[in-house]
Amino acid sequence: MLQLLPQAIVDGILIGGIYITVAIGFSLAYGVMHVIDFAVGEWIMLGAFMGFYLNRWLGLEPILLFPVIFLSFFVVGLWIQPLIHRVLSGRRGNPVLMGLVFTFGLALMIRGIALTVFGFYSHSIPSSLAQGSLFFQVGPIFVTIPLIRLTGLGYAVLVTMGLYYILHRTDFGLAVRALAQHKEAAGLMGVNARRTGGHVYGLYTGISATTGALIGCIFSISAQMGPDYTIFAFFVVVLAGMGYLPGVPWAAFLLGFVQSFFLIYLSPSYTMLAVFAALYLILLISPKGIFGKGV
Amino acid sequence: MGHPVLNVQSVTMAFGGLRAVDDVSFDVKPGEIVGLIGPNGAGKTTLFNVISGYLKPTQGRIFFHGDDITGKPPYDLAKIGIGRTFQIVKPFAGLSVLENVMVAVLLKHPSKKNAEANAHAVLEFTGLLDKAHMPASSLTLPGRKRLEIAKALALEPSLLLLDEVMAGLNPTEVKETTGLIQQVRDRGVTVLLIEHNMRVIMSLSHRVIVLNYGEKIAEGSPKEVAENPLVIKAYLGEEMAV
Amino acid sequence: MGRKFYASISVVVLLFLVVPLVVHDTFYLRVITEAIMWIGLAVTWDVLAGYTGYLNFGHGAFFGIGAYTTAILMVHKGWPFFAASIAGGAMAGLGALIAGIPTLRLRGAYFAIATWALARAIQQLALILDITGGPDGMRLPPFLQPGFFFYVMGGTVLIIFIVFWYLFEVHPFGLKVKAIRENEDGAMAMGLNPARIKIKVFIISAVPTGIIGGIYAYWITYIDPSSTLGDLVTDQAVVMAVFGGLGTLIGPAIGALIISTFKTYFWAYLSDYQVLYLIILGGLIALSVVFMPDGLWGTVYGKIQNARLAGSKEKR
Repeated sequence: MLQLLPQAIVDGILIGGIYITVAIGFSLAYGVMHVIDFAVGEWIMLGAFMGFYLNRWLGLEPILLFPVIFLSFFVVGLWIQPLIHRVLSGRRGNPVLMGLVFTFGLALMIRGIALTVFGFYSHSIPSSLAQGSLFFQVGPIFVTIPLIRLTGLGYAVLVTMGLYYILHRTDFGLAVRALAQHKEAAGLMGVNARRTGGHVYGLYTGISATTGALIGCIFSISAQMGPDYTIFAFFVVVLAGMGYLPGVPWAAFLLGFVQSFFLIYLSPSYTMLAVFAALYLILLISPKGIFGKGV
Repeated sequence: MGHPVLNVQSVTMAFGGLRAVDDVSFDVKPGEIVGLIGPNGAGKTTLFNVISGYLKPTQGRIFFHGDDITGKPPYDLAKIGIGRTFQIVKPFAGLSVLENVMVAVLLKHPSKKNAEANAHAVLEFTGLLDKAHMPASSLTLPGRKRLEIAKALALEPSLLLLDEVMAGLNPTEVKETTGLIQQVRDRGVTVLLIEHNMRVIMSLSHRVIVLNYGEKIAEGSPKEVAENPLVIKAYLGEEMAV
Repeated sequence: MGRKFYASISVVVLLFLVVPLVVHDTFYLRVITEAIMWIGLAVTWDVLAGYTGYLNFGHGAFFGIGAYTTAILMVHKGWPFFAASIAGGAMAGLGALIAGIPTLRLRGAYFAIATWALARAIQQLALILDITGGPDGMRLPPFLQPGFFFYVMGGTVLIIFIVFWYLFEVHPFGLKVKAIRENEDGAMAMGLNPARIKIKVFIISAVPTGIIGGIYAYWITYIDPSSTLGDLVTDQAVVMAVFGGLGTLIGPAIGALIISTFKTYFWAYLSDYQVLYLIILGGLIALSVVFMPDGLWGTVYGKIQNARLAGSKEKR
């Protein structure tokens, strides 16, 4: 069993990379708008199906479709955000609660539409990268790295660095950070909360959708896949500290390890239980995440 | 008698590098009205939040009637007799004025019938009786300030912490509220109040404590404090409302 | 309130007692029983959401815990139905206590996430355990007496409704709960311990939900993880309560009646398009939040109040 350990660790890192992209946009959106989006898994699912159909019709390598998917869902996010903004700035007693209910309803609706349009079947997106693997052997220890998963990790690194650049080196990023720190003060300094919020939401839906297409190349996709990824995104974000972006990669790798170890040493059907148990312990012991910097 | 009502011993409250309250000590004796003054950002409200249990002090201890209450949660402190108001008023907006006060009265009078009678008495005392059945959200600012006092009084506290209950009131209302505080004291309640209105402080307080940048810079009778050069310096540049 | 309240209760009880005498068709009796069940689930969901502001997105888990506890005790231990369903309620309450302790101290977003994850974990647990029959589910000893279940379900929901009414609208406890919802910091200064009171409400919400689940299991005689522990139970309770009007007891009941009736006809006539039901649920809840945040009852009641106020002003 011990010779499987290196493979489990490598798998954990590779899977963890995917969870970075699953959760990082979501964490950003929470940090700025302070609303949990229950539809996070549904954006992933929709992006996956867009990748699936575009690949089928155009025959293009799925990775090359990412810009199109990103832009499409960026626009969708721009279009959805004003509704959320409207709910959150409502004069009713508890707007945050209403925001939660709204995204919950949105998730239900998207899932229903997807089930109607795409049906119940599972698909996968064929990628030429899915064939190749890197293979290492040291004595009795084997480690396999499928190229497509390595691409996924690379994409995660790219997205993380891209976001870091945007947040810390651009005026837009400055506005976003100001907004996350203090909404009213940022408004006084001339940050347009509405427009910046819209762009952040678009960034989030765009990243989530491309992640869906990536997942389609690695695992399988179906119209019912959303809730699982929503849970994973929740887990990573709570573990990282809600709204604390630098914690996301570490939390994502931890989730990757949990999953790869359960897959190799126990049974995958215990994964969700393990995830929940871990989530429970974090909330009990350190609700602001492993770094204690959540909001 | 023995113990002072409130005994604050070298309390420090730091947020990161900022020491909002820095090594502050003082006593409040039974039946006193003590004024807590200082320029904006001097740490007065932070000190209130520490005393009433909303913040855990970084250092120092707080005693209430001789018992160590450092770090106890606000709801436990309310039970043992510390009532407070908030500078930014916190009414239960969706409830009626009467219900607002009843929430507080229930602490000492758990039966609903008693609670209602007591709440009426408190509302009468604070001059809110005619508004009893209006939603709290419909009150004007003076009304809300009054409701804050009514709620704190309804707890039947032995120590009352008042955080700028005069701010935003016109001179007539200030006079009424000043009278109200005096009556409260005459009922045997000890009062610690934060106030910007110097005239109020001078006429009401037996003793005044001055904070500046989190540190206590003076303590004494209103007259002594007003003549203290350190205090005058601290207020230079600020408009003094004398 | 007094007399009017007792009068309306008596009318409801009378109506309730004669229903099986008038309705002989078992299909309709079943439809009515189900509608009553949904009233119970929507109202139990709303006492937490509407009265404390914490959204339980795992309400179905407590329903399922009750159903499975009842089934296990009846099938494996030979317990009588009533004892088993009450044990189901107790287990649901225990679940709420355990899930509530870490989460109800935190902001509502954490609670929503945690309860939603809890529901998925419980479903997973039922899928892999032997005692729950895994994905095959469990069969209970059949007891085919629609009238019996009508009275049991109806009686239970009626009791829940009256107890909730007393606790939240008459007893001082309700006032404390509302104070915490309105302003938690302000409530603490009034001597209220928010976490403790919220946990009490969570348990008060979960116990009857578990009992309803137990009755459901014996009534339907078959439970499995996807139907009993699936998302649909929670989804429907949420939509009914939000559509009807959060923070009241009548609103969710009205919402439950309307949506459950709609569901019956929808599934009867459009059974091929069941997923459309999800779209309608999701659309309804999202649109309610945006355009009718006080829900149906809140909006109508608000209009009546305004008209009354306007009327009394004119008189002067």
